[in-house]
Amino acid sequence: MTWELFVFLFLAASGLISALLVVRAREIVHSVIALATCFIAVACMFVMLSAEFVAIVQILVYVGAVVVVILFGIMLTRRGIMESEKR
Amino acid sequence: MNLFDFCYGIIHWLVDLINNIWYWLGDFLPWWFGDFFTAVGDFAASHGHIAVMAILLEVIIIIAIALINVLNFIWLDRKFMGRMFDFYGPYYVGYKIGGWLQNLADGIKLFVKEIITPAKADKVGFLLGPVIYVGSSFLALATIPLGRQFYVGTNTDLASTGVGASALIAFAFFAIAPFSILIAGWSSNNKYTLIGGMRSAAQMMSYEIPMLLTVASVFLLAGSFGFMDIVAAQHDIWFGIPLFIGLVTFIVCLAAEVEIQPFDLPEAEAELVEGWTTEYCGMRFGLFMMTGYLRGYIGGALATALFLGGWHGPAFLPDPIWFLIKAYTVFVLIEWARWSLPRVRVDQILDIGWKRLLPLAILNLMIAVAVKSMGWF
Repeated sequence: MTWELFVFLFLAASGLISALLVVRAREIVHSVIALATCFIAVACMFVMLSAEFVAIVQILVYVGAVVVVILFGIMLTRRGIMESEKR
Repeated sequence: MNLFDFCYGIIHWLVDLINNIWYWLGDFLPWWFGDFFTAVGDFAASHGHIAVMAILLEVIIIIAIALINVLNFIWLDRKFMGRMFDFYGPYYVGYKIGGWLQNLADGIKLFVKEIITPAKADKVGFLLGPVIYVGSSFLALATIPLGRQFYVGTNTDLASTGVGASALIAFAFFAIAPFSILIAGWSSNNKYTLIGGMRSAAQMMSYEIPMLLTVASVFLLAGSFGFMDIVAAQHDIWFGIPLFIGLVTFIVCLAAEVEIQPFDLPEAEAELVEGWTTEYCGMRFGLFMMTGYLRGYIGGALATALFLGGWHGPAFLPDPIWFLIKAYTVFVLIEWARWSLPRVRVDQILDIGWKRLLPLAILNLMIAVAVKSMGWF
């Protein structure tokens, strides 16, 4: 097993697990954190494919714009959705 | 000799030194154990291992320089504020060197304080906020070259151009901060922190656009995304002179990005207790504060590299010294505005961002296009 394969498996696993967490998380902000993780994993994958520019733009545009998703998530959802019952 | 070669030499010397003792030890042991010793020693002396260790040493050197600069900045900030407000600033701890040790004393105080997580806080976000903030800011530091030979690099082939698109990398990581701030503000489960986080997000998102537009004009003139090419293109004339509007816009946007005084709405003490850092205490707050100043240093370094000619200067001082002098000058200018101007109101801040700075940035871009099409660069 080469190091490249190991890194690829790690990135693929973190991307898939975080993508799953986006859907499964109970709170919207948690799923947004998982979304940012997923984007960063994809950016690292682009670096491995030696497409550095796409990776940088991925981080600059997508991870930067995740903030807007949080803002919409906080402003457009009811407070009951944002707070789970058992804390 | 660049920084990588320097670190490579140091690590190579260390490995040789340790390997002498290691092989000598291996001679005493039976042959199957001696073979193991030889294999480990050969691995330690291989090019890949030494190169990786050299990169780690480079990172340590760059971070050490940045942290010393942060200590200087905090001290400079306090002293300058003291002079402007007609008092002395810190002078008791480290009396001989002007109270410079006060920051270390504060750091030790923050270290020994208890770290409290509020009971109603969101644990994951509360922990992740400072981590992302500090981590992304240190990553933004990685690509900034302090001199012709003084930058984080992996081999000597890159010496002429540096890492491609390194300026874009720095801005990409610089732009992650509002995400962590909003996470920290939301997860504290406090109205003040949430309002602070919202203000921070609105402010940073809207000042990012004029900032990146002014930077685009620099990319246009230099014809490259890399810091090395951008600074090398300023050998004859600094970009700050033809693009003076861009320089002013950039510094104002920088003050808004690192949230210092005229634009420190997210942590307005009079309205929100301490903004989005209200619920953080101990070293977590210390990390936020330190990273705030670190972002000030990164901002000054970015303005220096993009507009003020980077390390270019008369040759009697080495490159990194010129770079740091310019970065400190930018920081002191921002601090001067910080202690002289009142805080802008919350309805004015987006006005300034969208109605004043964005047209200025576009005008600056048009000037850059005109200058470029005249063939002057």
